[in-house]
Amino acid sequence: MLFNSIDFAIFLPVVFFLYWTLFKKNLKAQNIFIVFASYLFYGWWDWRFLALIIFSTLLDFTIGNFLKNENRVLRRKLLLSVSVIINLGFLAFFKYYNFFVESFVDAYTFLGSTINVSSLNIILPVGISFYTFQTLSYTIDVYRKELEPTKDLIAFSAFVCFFPQLVAGPIERATNLLPQISNKRSFNQNQIIDGLKLMLWGFFKKLVIADSLSPIVNDIFNNSSTYSSTTLIIGAVFFAFQIYGDFSGYSDIAIGTSKLFGVELMSNFKFPYFSRNIGEFWRRWHISLSTWFRDYLYIPLGGSRGTKFKNIRNVFIIFIVSGFWHGANWTFIVWGIIHALLFLPSFIFNNNRKFTNEINLLNSFKEFIINSLRIFQTFVFVTIGWVFFRSESISQAFLYLKRMFFDFSSSLYVHPSGYRMVDYYLILISFIVFEYFIRNNERNPFYFKNKFLRFFLYVVMVFAIILFYDDGVDRSFIYFQF
Amino acid sequence: MFKIIKKVLLYIFLIFLALELLVRVFHLQNERPNRYADDKGVEKWVPNQEEYSVTGNRRQNVGKYHINNFGFNSVHENYSPKKDATEIAIIGDSFIEGFHEDYTNSLGQQVERNLVNTTVLEFGYAGYDFADELHLIDAYDDLFDKIDYSFIFIRFTDDLERGNYEISSRLSLDTPISKAVKQIKLLVYLKDIGALDPLLQLPGKIINFVSRTKLKNEKTDEELKKEALVKERLRFKNFKTLLEKYPIDKNKFVFLLDSSLCSDEFLNYLKNNSYKYLDLNSILSDSVKPSTLIYDQHWSKSGRKLIAELIVNYSKKHFID
Repeated sequence: MLFNSIDFAIFLPVVFFLYWTLFKKNLKAQNIFIVFASYLFYGWWDWRFLALIIFSTLLDFTIGNFLKNENRVLRRKLLLSVSVIINLGFLAFFKYYNFFVESFVDAYTFLGSTINVSSLNIILPVGISFYTFQTLSYTIDVYRKELEPTKDLIAFSAFVCFFPQLVAGPIERATNLLPQISNKRSFNQNQIIDGLKLMLWGFFKKLVIADSLSPIVNDIFNNSSTYSSTTLIIGAVFFAFQIYGDFSGYSDIAIGTSKLFGVELMSNFKFPYFSRNIGEFWRRWHISLSTWFRDYLYIPLGGSRGTKFKNIRNVFIIFIVSGFWHGANWTFIVWGIIHALLFLPSFIFNNNRKFTNEINLLNSFKEFIINSLRIFQTFVFVTIGWVFFRSESISQAFLYLKRMFFDFSSSLYVHPSGYRMVDYYLILISFIVFEYFIRNNERNPFYFKNKFLRFFLYVVMVFAIILFYDDGVDRSFIYFQF
Repeated sequence: MFKIIKKVLLYIFLIFLALELLVRVFHLQNERPNRYADDKGVEKWVPNQEEYSVTGNRRQNVGKYHINNFGFNSVHENYSPKKDATEIAIIGDSFIEGFHEDYTNSLGQQVERNLVNTTVLEFGYAGYDFADELHLIDAYDDLFDKIDYSFIFIRFTDDLERGNYEISSRLSLDTPISKAVKQIKLLVYLKDIGALDPLLQLPGKIINFVSRTKLKNEKTDEELKKEALVKERLRFKNFKTLLEKYPIDKNKFVFLLDSSLCSDEFLNYLKNNSYKYLDLNSILSDSVKPSTLIYDQHWSKSGRKLIAELIVNYSKKHFID
C-alpha cells in the first residue's frame, strides 16, 4: 500500500480510530492490532511475501531468546551467525542472485570462455533490505548484551513489521522502537498534531518536488546522448532533488504516521543539501542506514582505531557496502566508491567532523560567502555521485558526465509534455529557501509561533500539491526498489 | 480523541475555504456553459453565456467563449444568411466548438477573416457525433438551405458509434444538483485535473474487490485486430444508415476528417459515391509545432491555424472561385 494512495487514505483513519478506541485499554490487543494492520498494509502489495517477514520475525525472536540463556561464547557466535546467514541469505537470494550470476558470466566471457547459466525471474520483496537490517540489529544488540531480548512475540512482531516504516525505513533500532511498543502508549494530542504536520510536509516533498521532477529526470536520463550540457545539468540537479524529496518525504510521512500511534521514530534526514562537506552530508542523509553501518560494520571492523591503512580500508568497505545495499548494480558500487573518495581527504586530515554546529548563512557577509561555497561544492560532488546512482550502467553515467562537462553546449530545455519549465525552477527555489528557514527543525517544519503564518503555510502546501498534481506520473517511491 | 477529530475537521474546512478562494482568485477552474434541448430537439448551450474555459492544473491554456443567441460559441449573435454574401457552416464536436481559444479567434473566425464577403457560422458542441450533426442539419433545414456550403467534422473512431439519433444523456449532466456543485469551483477544478479520480473510482474498486472480479487476460493481437475490424464495419454501416435517413446535398457538404483514423473501405465509399472530404491528416502530422494541446487531444493554436488555412484554400479553390 502506498502512502500516497486512496487505499492508505482509507486505511489510516480506520486503523487510527480503532487503535485509540477499541484497542486503547489493552496493550496486548493494541499490539496484535498493529501486527494485523501492518500485515494487511504489506499484504496489500503481495501477501505471499508476508511469509518471509513472519519467518524472519520468528527466527530472530527465537535466536534472541536462545542468546539470553546462552553464555558460551562459541555458541553465542554460532547463534548470531545463524541469524546473519539466514537473514542475509534471503536478502542475497532475492536481491543479488541475478547480479552475481550475471557478473560471473561476464567475468567468464571476459576471460575468453563462455558459460551458460540462466538467471531467475525473481521478484524483489518490497522493503526486504529495511526489515532485514532492523531484525539483524536486534539480534546483534542482544548478542552484544546491549539489549534484553523480549519474551513478547507479539511486541517483537510489531517491532519488525510496524507499518509506517516497514517498507522503506527509517531502519529502527530495537533499543529505540521495542521499548515503545512493549510499553503502554498514551493518547497525546500534541504528538498527533505534530505527526499530521510532518505528514503534510512529507506529502509536499513527495508529490510536489519528487513527482513533478520525475518525468523531466526520466526524459533527460533516458535520452542523455541527445541533450546538451545545460540540459544534462538540469537532469542531474533535478534528480538530486527528486531522490531527496522522494525519500525524505517518505521518511517524514512514516515518522508522522508513527506519531499518530504514539511512537517516535528516529530522524532520517536533516537537510543534507545544506552540508558543508561530505562528512556532514552523511550525518544528514539516510541517517538510519549510515548509523546502522557505523554501529554494526564500521566499528566492528575497527573503525578509526588502528593503522591509517586499516582506517581507510574501513571507510571504503562501509561506503561500498552501503552502495551495494541500494541495489544489485555496479553503478551503486561506483557511487559508494565516489563517496568514499570524497570523504577520504577530510577523514585523513581529521576534519570530517569539522561541521557539527548548525548552519547559519546570515551571520556575516564573509560567512555567507564561505559557507555558500562549501554548500555548493558539496552539492556538486553529491550530484555527480547521483549521476551514477540514477544511470542504468556505468558507461551511461560516464557518457552523461562527459557530455555534461567536456562537450559543453547549451540549449533551452523543453518539458517532455510541453509544460512551463519556469514553474519547476520557481518551486525548487522556494523549496530551498523554505528548507533554509526550517533547517534546525526536521521534525517540526511548521514550528513558527504565529498561528496565521502556520495556517498560511498549510494552505500553500496543499495548494502546491494540487497545482503540481499529475495523474499520469508513477507515484511509487524510489526507495521501494531497494 | 473527538476533540482532535473536531480540530482536524475544522482545519480541513478552513483549508478548503482558503483553496476555494485561491482557485477563484487565480481562476483555475474551467467554466462550462449550461446545456439544453431546444423545441426542435437539438441539444445546444443556453444562449448568452460568456466565461473562460481553462485547461491544465496551472492554467496552461485559457480561452474565452461566448454562446450566441442560437446556442453555439460564436461572434455572430444570430444565424441569418444574406443573399449578397457567402455563408459557410462548420459543424462538429468540441474541436469545432473551440473552447480552447478565444471565440474571437476561433477556427471559424480565422476562416472568415481570410475569405472575402464571407460569414462563417459555427455549430460546434462538445460530444456531438455524426447523428447529432445530421439531426441538427435536418432540424434546421430551412437555415442550411440558405447556407452556401458546410463542413461537417467527423472522427471515424468516435463519431459513428450509433446509427440513429436519440437525444443524448449529456443533458442529465445539468441537473439542479450538478449545477449547485458547479458553484464550488474547487471541486470543478479538482475534477478537471483528475485529482478526484481515485475517489470516484473507489466504489468500482471496492465492488471488484468484494466480488473478486479479475481482469480478463490481455487479448492477443489477432483478437484485437478482429475486434477493430468489427468496429470499423459497424461504424461504416452507421454512417450509411444515418445518411439514408438524413440525406445531404453532396455538392454543398464537405466532410472534414482525418484519413489516418478512417478505414479504407470508408474512404473508398466516400470517393466512389462522390462525397467530398477534406483530409486533415497530412497537415497535422507534418506540422513542426505541436498541433494538439498538452493536456488533451484538442487542437492547439498552431493546429487550428493549419486547419483554417486548409479550409480557406479548399473554399477558394472549390467554392468561392
